[in-house]
Amino acid sequence: MNDNRPVYLNLLKIRLPLAGMISFAHRITGVVLFLALPFAVYLLGLSIESEQSFQNVQQILNRPFMVLVQVLLLWSIAHHFFAGIRFLLIDAEIGVEKSSARLGSWIVLVAEAVTLFVIVCGVGL
Amino acid sequence: MSLYVLEGLRPWVIQRVSAVYIVLFIIYTTVCIFSADSITYIAWKDWLYNPFNTTVVGIFVIALLFHAWIGMRDVVLDYVHNIMLRIFILAMLIGVLIGSGLWVFRILLLSVVNG
Repeated sequence: MNDNRPVYLNLLKIRLPLAGMISFAHRITGVVLFLALPFAVYLLGLSIESEQSFQNVQQILNRPFMVLVQVLLLWSIAHHFFAGIRFLLIDAEIGVEKSSARLGSWIVLVAEAVTLFVIVCGVGL
Repeated sequence: MSLYVLEGLRPWVIQRVSAVYIVLFIIYTTVCIFSADSITYIAWKDWLYNPFNTTVVGIFVIALLFHAWIGMRDVVLDYVHNIMLRIFILAMLIGVLIGSGLWVFRILLLSVVNG
């Protein structure tokens, strides 16, 4: 057996191509969104319970820290959404070749950036 | 022993079908939000307790729970190799998902009681 083979992978030394970064970010955003789920359900319940609790939710969401959390979650949703659509298209064998895979990756990045910009500006978080 | 829920083509199909439904749901709700005159408690309540929207949200929650379960399960199977720890985390995931799901259905069903 060759003793020089690497026995572990240093994640900090791996340079992923763009499509790889998007795939990895798809995982991370999926986990982040899962962790946010119970809190989202809690706020959903509060928001529909009464006029008073609806206003409480608005106050909670207007806190500077919660605004930051919302931007991060909306970004996660946007990335998971567009990267997910890209993976569905790849399942349909669209955008598999190296050049089109690169183009698709860039479209995902631009689409999520535009979406985040529109939401943050439009809703005026 | 083989766990059918853990292998084969079925989770792959469920992940894709639920993804398509979630995409359509996000587009529908985004259109609703941006076409709303104002976002008040009354408007929000009317929207959620509209039978069509209640149904659409209910199906969304089921799709989301399956989607989250398969996605998180894949992450755990990739990175957690100790079998006991793996079973523990998977059980916790199921608990969080089913708990969240039942909670949403309680919220949605209260509309039937409260109007």
